[in-house]
Formats: sequence, C-alpha cells, structure tokens
Amino acid sequence: MARSRTAYFGQISISKASGLCLGALALAGAALGCRGYQYGHLIKNDQPDMVGSHSAGSEVFNPLIDETVAKLLGTAEVASQHGLVSPDGVPIQRSVCFVGVENKSAEELGDFKDQIYQQIDTQINRSQAFRAISRRMVDAGLQETRLRPDALLVPDNMQLFCSVLQRDGQPVDYLLYATLTSGTTERNKSSQRDYLLTLELIDTHTGSYTKEQASVRKGYHSSYLGKAVNYNPFKAWK
Amino acid sequence: MPAPGGPVAACCLVLVLGVISSCGCSTHAHRLQQPRQLFYSNQLDQAHEQFDKLSEKKRRSDSSVVQLDLAMVELVSGQPRACEQRLRDIRDRWDHLEQDSVLESTTSLLTDDQRKAYSGEDYEKLLVRVFLTLSSLMQDGVDAESYTLQTIEKTEDLREKAKTKWGDGALQSYSVPPIAPYMRGVLREATLSNYDDALRAYQATESLLPGAPFALADIERVTHSVHSNPGHGVVYVLSMIGRGPYKTEVAAEATSDALLIADRIVSAIGQYSVPPTLAPIKVPAIVSSPMPFDVIGVRVDGIPVSTTLPLTDLHSLAEQTFNAKLPEIMARAVARRVIKKGAVYVAKDQLNAAPIASLAMDGLGVAWEATESADTRCWGLLPREIQVLRLELPSGTHTLDLEPVVNDRPCSRPTPCTVRVEDARNTYVLGYWPDLQPIGQILVNNP
Repeated sequence: MARSRTAYFGQISISKASGLCLGALALAGAALGCRGYQYGHLIKNDQPDMVGSHSAGSEVFNPLIDETVAKLLGTAEVASQHGLVSPDGVPIQRSVCFVGVENKSAEELGDFKDQIYQQIDTQINRSQAFRAISRRMVDAGLQETRLRPDALLVPDNMQLFCSVLQRDGQPVDYLLYATLTSGTTERNKSSQRDYLLTLELIDTHTGSYTKEQASVRKGYHSSYLGKAVNYNPFKAWK
Repeated sequence: MPAPGGPVAACCLVLVLGVISSCGCSTHAHRLQQPRQLFYSNQLDQAHEQFDKLSEKKRRSDSSVVQLDLAMVELVSGQPRACEQRLRDIRDRWDHLEQDSVLESTTSLLTDDQRKAYSGEDYEKLLVRVFLTLSSLMQDGVDAESYTLQTIEKTEDLREKAKTKWGDGALQSYSVPPIAPYMRGVLREATLSNYDDALRAYQATESLLPGAPFALADIERVTHSVHSNPGHGVVYVLSMIGRGPYKTEVAAEATSDALLIADRIVSAIGQYSVPPTLAPIKVPAIVSSPMPFDVIGVRVDGIPVSTTLPLTDLHSLAEQTFNAKLPEIMARAVARRVIKKGAVYVAKDQLNAAPIASLAMDGLGVAWEATESADTRCWGLLPREIQVLRLELPSGTHTLDLEPVVNDRPCSRPTPCTVRVEDARNTYVLGYWPDLQPIGQILVNNP
C-alpha cells in the first residue's frame, strides 16, 4: 500500500510543477508595480452627486438646504411686503443671526456640519430680504455671554445676547436655528432613513417664529438587489 | 525521465531562492536599538542624528518605522510641525501600500514577511492619525479636528476589511481609540456653539471607557452647562506614559511541532524526504513594558489639583488588533514552509538525487528555513498609555507642576511648565514619561 502511494506521489508531473512555479514567479515579476495610484477628477455642476453607501452626504444635504432656504426666503418675501420700507420704498433688509446647526439625527455629520452652516448662511445673505450677521460676530457674542445656543430662546438670555451684538454694531432682528433630524425604518437587512432639515426663524422683537422644513428619504441595503427588492413598483407594503 | 534542462533549472531555482533568502534576514530591532536607547536616555539630538542616518537609506524595507521614530523624537523635542509633516507622509504612503503587490507577496513566501514594504499594523495606522491630532494641537490646531475624523473613519475602514477577511468575530477587536472621539468632543465644545457634537463625541468616549469619570463630567457639562465660566479658560494636560507596544519574535511551538510531524509523514510516504522542521516557525508578538507609575499629578500654582486619568491604552489597542491578524500571519508562515519544502523536493526529483545529495539538500533546506525571521518592524517609541486631565482656570498665566504618582503618592520630582490661559479658549499641555522622568520638553500650546 505504501509502495503504491509512493508510486502515485512520484507520478506527479514534477516538470509541470516546476514549470508552474517558474510561471508563477514570472507572473509575479510581470505584476511588478501593480499598486495603483489614487486619482481625482472634477465633477461638473450638472453631474449628480455621489450617493453615500452608509450615511448621508451631498446627495441628501444639498437638496435639503436648497429647499428649506428657498421656502424660508419665500415666506419672508411675503412677510416683508407688509414690513418696514425705506423712504425710497425699498424693503429694509432684516438682520439674521444664524446661531447654528443642531444635529439630532442618527448619524455623525463629520465634516458636513460646517458645510451646511456655510451653505445656509451664504444663501440667506444673497437674498434681498435678509442680511446675515457674520459667524465670527456670533461666536464672539456667544463667547462673551457664555450662553449656550439653545439657551438663547430664554427671553433674558436673548436680550443679553442681542444687546452684545447691538453694542458691536450688529442689531439682531431674527435668530435662525437649523436642526437636522432623522427617522429610521428597518426591514431585515435594508433600512430607510428619512432626513428632515428644519429652519426656525425667531423674531427677537416679538418672539414669533417661522418654520420651514424639507425632507429626503434614502434607502440603505446590504446588497445591490436590496433596492429592487424593497422599492420596486409592484411592491405592496404590508 | 525529467525533461531536458529540468535539473539545471531546478538547481538554479534553489540557488536563487537561497541567495534571496539570505538577504531576507535583516534584524530590524537590532538596527534601531541604539537610537531608541538614546531616545529613552533623553539624548534627543544624538537619537535624531542616528535615526536620520538610517532614514537616508530610502530603499530599506523599514524606512517608514524609522520615520515614525523620528517623528516622535521631533514631537518631544518641541518640533510638532516637523512631526506632523513626517506623519502625514507616512499616512499617505501606508494608504498607498495597503494595495497588494503580487511580487512582494510572492517574494515574502520565499523568504519572510520582511521582504514586503511595511504598510503598518492596523493599530499603527490609527495611531499615526492620533499623533497627527496631537502634533496639530501643539501648533495652531487647524487640522486637529480633521485628524480626529480621519481616525474614526480609518477605524471603520479597518473594521470593514477585518470583517471581510476574518469574519464577524474580528469586529470586536477593532474599536476606535477613545482619544479620537474625546479630542473631537474637546474641539467641538471649544467652538461654544456645537455642544450637540461634543455630546455625541463624549458619549462615544464613555461607551469605549465605561464609567470614566472625566467622560461623565464632560457629558454633564455639555448637556447642561457651558465650556467655561466667564473669565476662565480650559487647560488639557495630555500625558503619554510608559513604553508602548512593540513587536518581538517568538517561536510558534505548536505549529512547528505539527509541521515537523507532517513533514515526517511526507518523508515516509514520498520518494524523497523533505527537510525536517528543525528551525521553529517564528512569528511576531506584541509586548509592552509595565507602566512605570500610575498617573500624573498636577499642581496649579503650587496647589495640588488633580491627576490625569487613562484615556487610551495603546498596548490593548495594539494587542487586540494584532491578535485578530495573527492567524493570517501564522498561516502565511506555514505556507512559506510548505513552499520551501516543496521546492527542495522538486529539486531532488529533478536531479534524481542520491541519498547523500538528498541529505545535503535537506541541510540546505533547513538552513533556508532557518533564515526566516518574524516581521518585527514596528513603531518603537510609542507610549503605553495616553492620559488626560481637564482644568478650568482663570485667564492669565499659571505654573503647572507635573509629577508621576504611584498609589496616590508622588514618586519623582515634578516638572514645571508655564501656561497662558485665555478666556473661553483651550490650552494644551503634552508630555512624555516613558520612565519616571519626562523626555524632551513639556509642550504647551498657548492659544
């Protein structure tokens, strides 16, 4: 029995095996420098955003910001028709103190938070109805008063904060808060997350507020077919 | 009958492999021993000079660990900018080297793992980003927050890769170094307007360090209070304590014994014998020296205030991530042995080796196997633990005395440093105590 095994072992095509070894080495040699490099490219404005696989990104935040700010400015336009006007008949711009973005969603915003702030701030500043107060002035006011952003709604705190900015030549007509929330629906290995951006504009003179929202729904799946399985037109949720 | 020219090719192959393997037995730890010793004896200029000489040989397979050691020398010498630049280069280089190279993988199977360009252990990849955060904080801190995010993202990336390679069981070995979310919380809180981010970060820290008193205090503060009272600023004392994880070579006895039995079986049933596994299979293992003391006590203007508390245990981080990878290292070592034995067997067959020639070739095979050494390349100057203390102090200049403490008693003379505290701003103090005395300078970032 041992002999036959030996014979079998000896029958393995040794020359083929050594040929394969040499072939593998040659292949390895040919693969020299197979580590690639990283490349970048510019994305044209009309190209769609990349869709994040694990969390929200540009594809969620950009439309949210655009929609909420547009709604807020639209509402403000209507309101300003009944508001203060200059002797020339031009509506007077109201100053907005954008206090910050509060993240109450299930996801860490990472480097997107300041991006969201800057995008909202810029869009508001471009409008005819509002003039945004510089973020550096807002930060300086918060530093001086040592008030938390969420504490500014207490009337005494609001008054103190506005008086500090007014003293620095930045009277405040409105406080603006942005809040990002999310709601998650799980189904086996897929999930749907609804992102909601809310902008609250609070009149510091009267305490009344305007609120606008926009939402984006997004599905996450562990396989490529997850989208087809969960969101096909024939699917009837039960 | 073997194919014409086959014996010659086989002999050439064995000889070439032998030559290659003889080049593969570099002793990384021995080469870096002297400059590292100079570092620990606080002779930073000499250590820098020696590391510098070693780093000039750019084609060395351990050049990146030399660069890392240099970065540590520069950090404690008060050159955080140079340190940051060096660490950034290493980070980018390692990211590039994460891609597989077939040639290197093949060569490493014929020699040992040190033939591969060193792309860092997983814990080192995370710690490069941690030390980037610290070196940035010791300057203007402009990139510190980005580095904390990069650490968190890299952890997720490594977790995903570990899950793909080794299954769900590997996930528990990969957790983010607590210092990363903690420093993110510190930086977000310092904006005075992002307390929600700070809360998330401190909660993440607390989940990694359950019950850590400082994390609980931080959560309480960012939930209900503010960064600091008017007229006050905050000082963060970050202490790096002990000599951190490094790799050493150990023999995998059980695997060596199993392989010895296996090759005896093959020798018994085969036409030719295979080289016996006399040289043990060598694999790296993570070790650290014990902590030289417990914590750093801090006196402010001569008054004892508090002590630092553990924030990140680098030894545990290294051990956990390395142990997840160990079966793969072991498997590669066994595969390497099998290939070497197979090559000798093929050579014997091609040459129709006579018994004496066969014995000689076995000897050659054993020698070839004995040239293997474990890949002990590593960042050798890491601390064992990073600790932190948060102090809220009135604006102005203060003197801090930092002293090692064991069992609530000072065990070495204090090291003074002067800090300038600014209203509503953070000041960072960083020191490294591998033993009872600090190395180099106590770094202070004045806002």
